[in-house]
Amino acid sequence: MASYEMPTVSINETDPDLVIHPLYDLPEKKRETDHLAPMQMTLSARISLITLRAYLILMGGMLLYHVLDLAGLFGHK
Amino acid sequence: MSDEPTYFQNVGSVESIKGRVIRTPWLRHLVTFLLVAGPGLIVMEADNDAGAVSTYVQAGAQYGTHLLWTMLLLLPITYFIQEMVVRLGIATGKGHAAMIYGRFGKWWGRFSLFDLLLLNFLTLVTEFAAIALAVDHMGISPSLGVPVAALGLVVLVLSGGYLRWERITICLCLLDLTWLVLAWLVQPNLRHVVHDSFIPHVPPGGLTNDLVFLVVGIVGTTIAPWQLFFQQSCVADKRLRFKDLKWERLDTFLGAVFTIVVGGCMMLVGNAAKIHGLEFVDPAKLAGDIGGFYGPIVKYAILFMMINSAVLGTTAVSLSSSWAYGEVRGWPHSLQLPIKKAPGFYLVYIFCTLTAAGVVLIPKAPLQLIILSVQVLAGLILPSAIIFLQLLLNDRQVLGEEWINKRWNNVVNWTIIIVLFALSLLLAAQVMVPSLFPTSGP
Repeated sequence: MASYEMPTVSINETDPDLVIHPLYDLPEKKRETDHLAPMQMTLSARISLITLRAYLILMGGMLLYHVLDLAGLFGHK
Repeated sequence: MSDEPTYFQNVGSVESIKGRVIRTPWLRHLVTFLLVAGPGLIVMEADNDAGAVSTYVQAGAQYGTHLLWTMLLLLPITYFIQEMVVRLGIATGKGHAAMIYGRFGKWWGRFSLFDLLLLNFLTLVTEFAAIALAVDHMGISPSLGVPVAALGLVVLVLSGGYLRWERITICLCLLDLTWLVLAWLVQPNLRHVVHDSFIPHVPPGGLTNDLVFLVVGIVGTTIAPWQLFFQQSCVADKRLRFKDLKWERLDTFLGAVFTIVVGGCMMLVGNAAKIHGLEFVDPAKLAGDIGGFYGPIVKYAILFMMINSAVLGTTAVSLSSSWAYGEVRGWPHSLQLPIKKAPGFYLVYIFCTLTAAGVVLIPKAPLQLIILSVQVLAGLILPSAIIFLQLLLNDRQVLGEEWINKRWNNVVNWTIIIVLFALSLLLAAQVMVPSLFPTSGP
């Protein structure tokens, strides 16, 4: 690899003037999410998901009605 | 600043990193921004895809400059939503689909993934339908133009890593500046443009079915579910760091401004058709029609920009599917990996792209039904996608106190969610009760 042939110096990542492309930088430690249990259902989370379910059921029902209506099932067409 | 890049060796491993010491503050900031920028501009400008061209041009052709204010209103909304995605992507280093799966369980995970893949595939069909339409008006057979575009899109991601893909895609985004030239060439009334951009008002003709559909269409095409998945995965693939957050926010904001300006210019091009009393059928026909007034350069530029918009939309939408599917399946999923190391990731991209192109080439394929389905599904899915995003951004276990939404974030975002729900319900109500608003146009 070309980069190994270049002269190297000791790492000084604290140098505030050093600019490194994200893809060439050392991997950074991110927030740990792999071993977390599913989200705790707080009241607001629970209400949000119930509302979402109701919305999806309502919209799905409306869509089904519209498709059936277009197919002439209700005698409008 | 030092002229030569300095190569540092990490003593703890064999991995080398290369960087550059820049002593001049403004230049250091500029270079850092340019290195980080990309995902924000791409996600925003790719959203000006074939569907957006059609919607914005139609808005201009039917209502002139009267709906420009909707674009300005959407600027902060689209930025706030994507900013949350950036924060989540940088903090976790993971894609959106993986986060929904991990935090909400398999049911919601599969629901979100299925919706995304279905909607994305239908969107891809519309992108290729636009390419077929544009090349047809250019005198090129769609059976030649569509496969060439599809193969070009496959080569784009297989051609050698994230950076090459990003650079080529940014060039395609910047090509959209042509819309500004087109808007200037059709000479809109500047006083009307400024007034209608900053003063929200109902166009002459009042609140009609067409107007409501169009406004909902403008909202739906400016904020799309795939954008959430795309930018988070893109940020993760580019390995943006915590210190890059402010630059990626700037990238996203500038991308939002760029896309809104370009979208507004598309409306101004449509406005030219209204001025000359031309009826809007589709953007390609409109290009031919207004070409009769402004010359063949304008006609071919509009057709070429239609293709460019569709190509941009296709690469971004296909990648959002590949990233999401790869994350959920636990496959290697990065543009940094060669096809041998991430075969599933690339195969999903290739399959989506080529199959969508193939559907368009089927004689008498129900393209109009597919376009309608995209609009309905997008309207249906967007509020749910944003609810997951909002809940994830309030998840202290994932983000901790530092990266979690602040109170003002939540107030803004819940307002956006309520507006989107209301618009979706309005659209549904209008579909159910077509006589809800008068049918006469402007």
